[in-house]
Amino acid sequence: MSLVETLPASQRDILLKVDNISLSFGGVKAITNISFDIRVGEIRAIIGPNGAGKTSMLNVINGFYHPQEGTITFEGVPRPRMRPHHAATHGVARTFQNIALFRGMSTLDNIMTGRGTLMKRNLLWQALWTGPAEREEIEHREAVEKIIDFLEIQHIRKTPVGRLPYGLQKRVELGRALAAEPRLLLLDEPMAGMNREEKEDMSRFILDVNSQFGTTIALIEHDMGVVMDLSDRVVVLDYGKKIGDGTPDEVRANQDVIDAYLGVPHE
Amino acid sequence: MLYREAGDFKTSYRADQQTFPIRSERILFWAFIVAAFAVVPFFINDYWEKSVLIPFLVWSMAALGLNILVGYCGQVSLGTGGFMAVGAYAAYKLMTAFPEMNILLVIVLSGGVTAVVGMAFGLPSLRIKGFYLAVATLAAQFFLVWVFNKFPWFYNYSASGQITAPERLLFGVPVTGPNSPPWATYLVALTVVFVFAWIGKNLTRGRIGRQWMAIRDMDIAAEIIGVEPLRAKISAFAVSSFYIGIAGAMYFTIWFGAVEPTEAFGINQSFRALFMVIIGGLGSILGSFLGAGFLVLLPVLLKNLMVGQLGWATDIASHFEIMIVGALIIFFLIVEPHGLAQLWRLTKEKLRLWPFPH
Amino acid sequence: MSPDFLYFIETVLNGLMSGVMYSLVALGFVLIFKASGIFNFAQGVMALFAALTLVGLLTGQVPFAHLIHAIFGVEAQHWGAGMPALLAVIGTMVVMIALAFLIERIVLKHLVNQEPIILFMATIGLAYFLEGLGDLMWGSDVKALDIGVPSGGSFWWEDVTREWAAEGSDYFGMYIDKLDVTAAIVAAVLVVALSVFSQYTRMGRALRAVADDHQAALSVGISLRTIWVIVWSIAGFVALVAGIMWGSKSGVQFSLSLIALKALPVLILGGFTSIPGAIVGGLIIGVGEKLAELYIGPLVGGAIENWFAYVVALVFLLYRPQGLFGDKIIERI
Repeated sequence: MSLVETLPASQRDILLKVDNISLSFGGVKAITNISFDIRVGEIRAIIGPNGAGKTSMLNVINGFYHPQEGTITFEGVPRPRMRPHHAATHGVARTFQNIALFRGMSTLDNIMTGRGTLMKRNLLWQALWTGPAEREEIEHREAVEKIIDFLEIQHIRKTPVGRLPYGLQKRVELGRALAAEPRLLLLDEPMAGMNREEKEDMSRFILDVNSQFGTTIALIEHDMGVVMDLSDRVVVLDYGKKIGDGTPDEVRANQDVIDAYLGVPHE
Repeated sequence: MLYREAGDFKTSYRADQQTFPIRSERILFWAFIVAAFAVVPFFINDYWEKSVLIPFLVWSMAALGLNILVGYCGQVSLGTGGFMAVGAYAAYKLMTAFPEMNILLVIVLSGGVTAVVGMAFGLPSLRIKGFYLAVATLAAQFFLVWVFNKFPWFYNYSASGQITAPERLLFGVPVTGPNSPPWATYLVALTVVFVFAWIGKNLTRGRIGRQWMAIRDMDIAAEIIGVEPLRAKISAFAVSSFYIGIAGAMYFTIWFGAVEPTEAFGINQSFRALFMVIIGGLGSILGSFLGAGFLVLLPVLLKNLMVGQLGWATDIASHFEIMIVGALIIFFLIVEPHGLAQLWRLTKEKLRLWPFPH
Repeated sequence: MSPDFLYFIETVLNGLMSGVMYSLVALGFVLIFKASGIFNFAQGVMALFAALTLVGLLTGQVPFAHLIHAIFGVEAQHWGAGMPALLAVIGTMVVMIALAFLIERIVLKHLVNQEPIILFMATIGLAYFLEGLGDLMWGSDVKALDIGVPSGGSFWWEDVTREWAAEGSDYFGMYIDKLDVTAAIVAAVLVVALSVFSQYTRMGRALRAVADDHQAALSVGISLRTIWVIVWSIAGFVALVAGIMWGSKSGVQFSLSLIALKALPVLILGGFTSIPGAIVGGLIIGVGEKLAELYIGPLVGGAIENWFAYVVALVFLLYRPQGLFGDKIIERI
């Protein structure tokens, strides 16, 4: 075990820092003045009732939305007005709430696409294929096959993803995100719509990704049992505001959080 | 000749990702290619060359290019005719400005010129999508044809406004102009199409092809996992226009020899190429060929049947032809939106299991 | 007023008039797109088909005469007598409704839930089919269409405007075609009628519901198929009106179907779902085109009306991708 992993989450280095972020869509405030951080190697959960701004928060982190106020600092570098593909090349990968796989492509091709940020051969080499482009392709194919083994989806390697059942699609999506070898992995409701068994599988994969590859994970999830078991620290949002932040136990004891979840009327 | 994959095991990733993973398919493919290169030239005559084979090859090239853009990258374009015109006029200007230049180089350079033009007209695709983009590409179509009509520099100030291909030799044999033997033009077209079909396959099976398809299937997700939309879309426009430009250059140099922009490169050509891609199969190299073959052969067959056999007037035959093409488009979209290539794939699936389908 | 300024006004007026004609065609696109999400490329050919049928009925042509001659050797071009104008218009409308019905039955029914782009390409196929069918039924020669729509220059207006010019200048008055004025009035009436229809009738409400959300409309018991037949019939009616106006103006011939291409930039400008957008877009394109021809045309050698509208629309789109009347697009994931 490395030194980093033995430290409690709150004392590790900060990987990503969210500072006073506000985001609105034409007058509708989605996020108001939120700050929190994600530390190296931890599993950070973002929870909150529907419409709390969780997905918007992820969208801000990987540059899909640009907040009107506040800064995002990733690995010590502020990243203003970053485009999503820049986030991807700098080591932020993610999955989506509603599956966003490339439906016309096979499982293998989907995961290989996730690998695209690490492949370097240009158009001319690709056109020639034989030689460097093919060697590069095979090299990355080997890495992708490891992910396929890891996620136990060997049998659907060549199946078009559109034909796969929901649970497997979620798994392929995780694979596609892992293929980029991210330092920060954003998971948007990785277990939504799954049955108990599938949830257990997915939890196992998430824990394994975290411990085997050392990947830092930020996840949104509604199943409180899963969240409390998996995560090192939890941030709670409600109506676009942060109402709680801390270890699962701290959050569970927080009166504001209890109110939000039990539905105390807003003033 | 059995179509079997049993016993055909793959021991390396290289073997696993080849174009024809099944041995009998490989044999069939190479037999076909050998026949096309070594047998057909001995039997070809003027009629087959000008009415069937050259049109097939030239349109295959155009369909390949359009398929890269529409079928792989998901950007619908109605500007094919205009881009073919760019290829043709680039070839003309190159041939007349540099009489010594090798004709193959002329054709490839014409593709290069078209690629640059295509990239420029592809820029709007970064902001607009779907139908809006399709309509925007019509701007390219009308604008380009207008340019070639309006500015005499492009047709070297010739009185008729036409461009005519001067005679050029390849290995001592004329391949453009009226004196070129059918087998020579056929072999030139076949070689060009063969090479670029292979390149097309390479591009679509590697990283760039996957990025195109990612943009096609879900552009937002593609960007978030690291596909840069600018590069992916513009490279698709560039490669696609490159192919279409080559098709235009061949259309002019080795097929017609003389063209005039309004008729030869009008919007109907844009639709024609699009139909080939739809009928053949979106997102399939093979489909581009099947679609081109189908739409080239159909009028020939209909004409032979209605004018030759039944003795009808040619205008009735051509009206029927439009109707049948239109009806077929609809038929294919209803029955098999993935076109002839998908039918071929399904047949192969069946063949693999035959005679024990369960 | 100086003649130059009067020329300018004349150009603008004529631009507005031709803009109305574009709007007429664009209207048909918008109707179908709103109700079914289909970008109906065949709208222009439908106008041609309607006009051909109308002329055929008016002059008493025998449909498929050439084909019958070719197959059976029977020479029969005309019934001998045509129909009165009103009856012919009604007859054509019946044909257009039948066409809408057949399109739904044979094409659309099988393409429910396909991607929009597939439907779009199907309508291109439909355009080809109808074009071939129209030519086969009624012949491909250029035909004159006259159902008594007033046409020709207005002398009254010429006289009025000549007075405006400065004393002694050789200005001969403005030319305005009565046909264009009629078309403008017809278009205005059509727009009002369609708005009233979609706002105040039960059917109109159902149409708007379908436009909003197919699934939701289905779940409250609106029959999608009936709606589609109705929408395509209305689009057929709009096509007929456009066909009459354009046919009276420049004869019924193949080029009539190309007015669809003119309507596309209008749609881009106005947005695919907005009826006011179609009108305003049409007017902008009409005026822009005429002014460009007058002031820019001579600089680059003329004949720019083929692409000018597209370039205007394209530049506009780059600046504002949602069109004139569209809401700002918020992308979600």
